[in-house]
Amino acid sequence: MRRRHALVGLLVAPRAAWACGRLELGQILRGRFVQTRRLQGFARPLVTEGRFALAPGQGLIWRAEKPFAITTVMSAAGLVQETRGTETLRLPAARLPLLARLYDMLGGALGGDWHALERDFSVLRTGDAAAWQVVLTPRVTDSIAMPFQAITAHGGCFVDAVDLAKPGGDTDRLEFLDQTLAPGPLGAGEEAALAVLAR
Amino acid sequence: MRRGLPWLWLLVMVAACAYLGLRVHAGLNWRTDLMALLPRDEQDIGRQQAEDAVTRALSQRLVLLVGHPDGGLARAAAATLAQRLAASGVAQPDVIVPGPEAIRRLGALYAPFRRGLLSEADRASLRAGDGEALATRALAQVFGFVGLGDANLLQADPFLLLPSFFAGLPVPFARLAPVEGVPMVQADGIAWALVTARVTADPYALDVQDRLIAALDIDRLAGAQPGLRVLRLGAVFFAAAGAAEAIGESSRIGLVSTLGTVLLIVVAYRALAPLWLSLLVIAAGVVAGLVASLLVFGELHVATLLFGVSLIGVAVDYSLQYCTEMFAPPALPGARLARVRMGIALGTATTVIGYLTLLLAPFPGLHQIAVFSAAGLVAAWLTVMLWLPGLDRSRPARHGGRMLAWAAGLLDLWRGPRWMVIGPGLAIAAFGLWHLRAEDDVRRMQSLSGPLMAEQTEIRRLIGGTGDGPFFLVRAPDDEAALQAEEMLGERLAGLRASGGLSGWLSPARFVPSSARQRGDRALVARGLDPLLAAHRDRLGLDGAAVQSDDSGPALTLSAALAAGAPLGLLAIGPGVHVVTLEGLAGRADLAAAAEGIAGIAYVDPAGRFSALLGKYRIRAIGLLVLSAGLMAPLLAWRYGVRGAARVMLPPLLAVVLAPALRALGGAGFSFFDAMALVLVLSIGVDYAIFCAETAGARAPVTMLAVTLAAATALFSFGLLALSNVAAVHSFGATMALGVLLAFLLAPMARR
Repeated sequence: MRRRHALVGLLVAPRAAWACGRLELGQILRGRFVQTRRLQGFARPLVTEGRFALAPGQGLIWRAEKPFAITTVMSAAGLVQETRGTETLRLPAARLPLLARLYDMLGGALGGDWHALERDFSVLRTGDAAAWQVVLTPRVTDSIAMPFQAITAHGGCFVDAVDLAKPGGDTDRLEFLDQTLAPGPLGAGEEAALAVLAR
Repeated sequence: MRRGLPWLWLLVMVAACAYLGLRVHAGLNWRTDLMALLPRDEQDIGRQQAEDAVTRALSQRLVLLVGHPDGGLARAAAATLAQRLAASGVAQPDVIVPGPEAIRRLGALYAPFRRGLLSEADRASLRAGDGEALATRALAQVFGFVGLGDANLLQADPFLLLPSFFAGLPVPFARLAPVEGVPMVQADGIAWALVTARVTADPYALDVQDRLIAALDIDRLAGAQPGLRVLRLGAVFFAAAGAAEAIGESSRIGLVSTLGTVLLIVVAYRALAPLWLSLLVIAAGVVAGLVASLLVFGELHVATLLFGVSLIGVAVDYSLQYCTEMFAPPALPGARLARVRMGIALGTATTVIGYLTLLLAPFPGLHQIAVFSAAGLVAAWLTVMLWLPGLDRSRPARHGGRMLAWAAGLLDLWRGPRWMVIGPGLAIAAFGLWHLRAEDDVRRMQSLSGPLMAEQTEIRRLIGGTGDGPFFLVRAPDDEAALQAEEMLGERLAGLRASGGLSGWLSPARFVPSSARQRGDRALVARGLDPLLAAHRDRLGLDGAAVQSDDSGPALTLSAALAAGAPLGLLAIGPGVHVVTLEGLAGRADLAAAAEGIAGIAYVDPAGRFSALLGKYRIRAIGLLVLSAGLMAPLLAWRYGVRGAARVMLPPLLAVVLAPALRALGGAGFSFFDAMALVLVLSIGVDYAIFCAETAGARAPVTMLAVTLAAATALFSFGLLALSNVAAVHSFGATMALGVLLAFLLAPMARR
């Protein structure tokens, strides 16, 4: 869980420093992603491609399309993952309050609150608004709760890519493409995806 | 020889005072545990011990919830309280959020046995033949949003069964999330930080309570930080509040009852000598009672103190009998003593019989009261016999005319044939007893502090179940059999959970499944997942050969898990003796049925168990009453003959029947404590009847005056007990007061 929360914070945090304006309540950020996981002892990287939509105050929809469809939705109510029409993971925030805190962090980072991340990481920012880089180094490395050796993000107007390095030599890379910022509301499909959480 | 006796008695009393002084100086060990007063279940010693162990462990738990709108302040205050608990020397704060080292150790413990450890849901899928569902889930977790699992984990556990098992483990305090290592929950704009601890000493010992509460000093902490709230839950807090109330009550009751007695004596005798003499008799009785209890039991219970206070009302009777003789000539001390000697000797003997009958009741607390009272009464009697004539310088009193005339009027109350009283008396008694309602609920007998109850309710609302209350006790020949029994129980509890009967439960089997289940799960995995393995590894893109799994090896055992520090707390008491705690109970009716037919599992509702025992012993107490009357009868028959004995027994027996009947007509229930009060009403009533039977002619009004004064002082002490907030003490006092009043009014019927 800890890994997820660190990542979501990272995904949204740099937007506070955008040159292109901040993600406001009522706006929706949409785009494509490519997630490449390189695991030791695996013949080829595990590549997942799909689309995502982030609506402040409503939730995050993370829809993998390749190699097969996995939909993950997340909000203050919790996290639900669906594959091929069956629910493979449901973590209600009421059962696992950590999720609620994670979502709070997400909201905090959207508002420019780096504090939540700085508690666990030392944050090094370089570059300018047009091309910036952020390197996060965990304050405590030898810990079960901290599965990363380093997190590096770079971007300009948007976050372009995030690299996650893990202690065992595994790496994850998230690339974000075709990002657009649009006023709401969510589309009918997106609404339906988020509605799964309330079930 | 006879001249030396008063000096010998002085020596005994001086020694008693010295002993008491030494014990008080060394610090008296007061007990406050109401349950310690209650009988043990004699049926099943092993079960009793196991239940005691659980009850003790539960009673040692304490929970503090520290709330403030600013979470940081709440955490800081929680840390302060945890430090103070540790520094108190009588409590040890728990580590609720396991550190990384502990998590790593548990991971290493479980990993080798992963093929036999399935979560409830995974087992259900495999039993349904749906291994594909598990493969799909693993893929989704690997490819999905910020994928789970590293290379090592996937190589060893490609279906990610162990993470699923861990996720399915029951979590205590599931609603709380650790923030900087402190479990917290947010509600209504307040951040609550949790501190739990175990009291390492007896939570029912007064000094332990005092040290703990002084060390916590919650009031000052909350006072120094505006907006800070601290909620408390734990037997130690309830016991401390109860003890404070009992001690406050008994000192208030003692004070008022003593003042009332003093005033009565001074007004009645218009002299101070009877007062000093009576106080001397009381003091001798109390000292002897305390010393005897300490010698026999080594400790004192607050309840003994509370009931001991009422002894004052009885101990003073004998000195009143003696002192009142100043109204009858010749009033020389020796002659006065000679006139009452037989009366008070018989009175003491019968009363001591009454109190000692309490020793036959299997209630540890009543044993102490019996010893305290019997020793106190004998000491009071000896003091009257040996000291009073020598100390007494009072002259014959001349002012008693009106009081004596009034007493003579009381004597004439029952001039008519006895059946005129017996008939209506029995009719009222029959009518009243018809309406008698048994009252055995122990929860209504204890007075639980209102604010603490409110705090407890709020804690339950905020953090969910706290695992106290009813539980299942598992007793099996070994751990394996116990774990299998818990798994059978677990399936029934899962059904109850589905229908909303409870929100969850904790059992050792949920953390370490039985070897039989682990073998069964290995077979499920071999049958349901191994055929899918090659395709699954291929989809994941795993290199090399699959890890060869050996399903014939030993399963993870509970003892190995405990040795590795698995956080089972009080769930595993000993080999084969386990506890299943319950959370979020909605109704209790179904739970007893859930254990039915599973060997070695018993449903235990501590409060219900005590209620059942109270009911059983309520009936036994009535037996004691009959026994005690039977023991007094030969003594009375020796003195008065059979008919005379019947005459003397009639007034106390009528009082014993009428008191509960009248209380029942007033709507009160009849509890064990009412029954015990009746045992004492009988003793005191027999005293009054004996005093009346021993007197005759001109001396009769004097005796009746003494009985009146005795009854008035008894009403002072027992009537005041009826004002107690503790329901048990209230019942005892009310029945006692009513019974004593009736016994006093009916006593003249004992005259020839």
